[in-house]
Amino acid sequence: MKKNGVKMIKINSKNVDVFYGKKQALFNINLDIEENQVTALIGPSGCGKSTFLRCLNRMNDVIDICRVKGQIIINDFDINDKSCDVVRLREKIGMVFQKPNPFPKTIYENISYGPTIHGMAQSKNEMDEIVETSLKKAALWEEVKDRLHEPGTGLSGGQQQRLCIARAISVKPEVILMDEPCSALDPIATAQIEELIDELKKDHTIIIVTHSMAQAARVSQNTGFFHLGELIEHGSTDKIFKNPENKKTQDYITGRFG
Amino acid sequence: MNKNKEQLLNKRYKAEKRFRLYGQSAIFMALLFLTIFIFKIFSTGYSAFQKTWLIVPVTFDAELMMLEQNPSKEDLKDADYYDIALKSMADLDPNANENQENELKRMVSYFFEREIKRELLNDPSLIGKTKDVYLTASDDLDQVFKGNYPRDLPEDQRRVTDYQLKIFDQLVELGKVESKFNLSFFTYPDSREAELAGIASSFMGSIFSILVCLMIAFPVAVLAAIYLEEFAPKNRFTDFIEVNINNLAAVPSIVFGLLGLGILLAVFQLPRSTPLVGGITLSLMTLPTIIIACRASLKAVPPSIREAALAMGASKMQTTMHHTVPLSMPGTLSGTIIGLAQALGETAPLILIGMVAFVNTIPGSPLDPAASLPVQIYIWAESAERGFVEKVSACIMVLLGFLIIMNLFAQIIRHKFEKKWS
Repeated sequence: MKKNGVKMIKINSKNVDVFYGKKQALFNINLDIEENQVTALIGPSGCGKSTFLRCLNRMNDVIDICRVKGQIIINDFDINDKSCDVVRLREKIGMVFQKPNPFPKTIYENISYGPTIHGMAQSKNEMDEIVETSLKKAALWEEVKDRLHEPGTGLSGGQQQRLCIARAISVKPEVILMDEPCSALDPIATAQIEELIDELKKDHTIIIVTHSMAQAARVSQNTGFFHLGELIEHGSTDKIFKNPENKKTQDYITGRFG
Repeated sequence: MNKNKEQLLNKRYKAEKRFRLYGQSAIFMALLFLTIFIFKIFSTGYSAFQKTWLIVPVTFDAELMMLEQNPSKEDLKDADYYDIALKSMADLDPNANENQENELKRMVSYFFEREIKRELLNDPSLIGKTKDVYLTASDDLDQVFKGNYPRDLPEDQRRVTDYQLKIFDQLVELGKVESKFNLSFFTYPDSREAELAGIASSFMGSIFSILVCLMIAFPVAVLAAIYLEEFAPKNRFTDFIEVNINNLAAVPSIVFGLLGLGILLAVFQLPRSTPLVGGITLSLMTLPTIIIACRASLKAVPPSIREAALAMGASKMQTTMHHTVPLSMPGTLSGTIIGLAQALGETAPLILIGMVAFVNTIPGSPLDPAASLPVQIYIWAESAERGFVEKVSACIMVLLGFLIIMNLFAQIIRHKFEKKWS
């Protein structure tokens, strides 16, 4: 989104290197993410796009042998700094995973979990409201409003993924990371999620990792192309798909490898 | 070429058929052993649930009992019942000489005096009257009545004399011998006399031991497992601990008994023969079982659930306590119950810490001396009297029943938990 003609940068990554043990997975990534836009990260399997995505909410901390170097600045604050509290960070940066992973609890409890642990609702009514808005935003409300207290795992795959999106937005994050959110879904469910992503970018900055170039072209405004741990090219989606500067980008986009 | 393929296919079918047959015969064998085992135990044990009573007319003669006129309740309690008890037995055969009177007395348990006293305390108006009283038959006659005693042995090899048998047969003919449900098997503690021996002491001992074991082993094991699985760094030291937990699970139980003897009794001076010490010793044994079960079920919780919680901004602790641990509970609980069932059947360590002592009181707390069910089986199996043979099997039946109930309970808990989300 442009304010006074200037692009607003939400996330600014500088010289990010990631190592798994001795193996380096990402090399010197410099990528700016625009606010309230959808940024797609594309590239062949194992190119490091998911690794980069997981750097943005420090999910790589979970992996013992993983080390991250460099700066990732969100709201003028380096999230790799020691003073950064991951809990607060992840409250601001939500994530949706490749496989729908609702908690084995009720639909209501799935949504209310985040607001509960972050103390966002003072009363049952407030919580009900948060649950309702989140589900409405995730375009799931109409389908589940009569069975909020049934297990979330009983929904269909596409519904489960939307439930996970609703869960992610329940804490009103500024950024939502999506790691191939449609790869386990059928085309109809995929279309619903893509529509939803377009809707969500009004309130959130979205970064989506995808294998499908068509999807990247459909949903994103900006695209970054990763190959073998390096960021080969990034820019507006239009430019990347129609007029790539790099030969590798062109080869990948035209389906010559990947 | 084609024929070759057909042969191969046939071979494959035959191999599968053979494999199925092996599997079925293995199951058949297992079932056969189980059936034989259970049949053997039931056929020897069921008679222990019946007890033989002799119905003997007793005359409550105030003079013989040294009672004054209009005795108070206290007087009745202090009265002398031995003489009327002896007399009522001797009266079974008016022509008996002194030796035979002695034999008559030994036809009932040494509780006969108490049984007569109880009768009078229940109904003080019996003084001066005669009433048929149920007296516990001696274990030998009990066995004779149940048909477990070979009557055709020569007299000097029997514990029952010809004279006793003669009187007993007369009583049977008169309908003065009755078989009733053996309640005292469940309510009496152990006794040297088979007809009076019960499992109350060892049953309570087992319950107290298991409770102590559960209260120590469960929290320690679950906390250790959660810490190791979710929080501890993975390095050489934790690897070393993990290996040793597995080693601990393989340590023979008698070693834990020695540990209990050497440390709990010798160093800490805890009371010997008590369920407290037994429970602590058993908890050492159960600990690795629960830790391993708990870790396995924590491992089985899909990482995606942890990631989902972490990505929502839950702390490590919240992720573990809100999601991972509740999901692992069914597995942990069934592991715990399996561990407890093992502990319940454990004999060796309890023998070492003194729970093999002869206990003829019913323990009221874990600090009272007690036996336990498996040790009771061991004690009775060592006893020479024929009356204990059926008691051993009956005690095994109680122990097995106990285990089956525990496992059923585990299954129910597990089922309820898992059904909810499948």
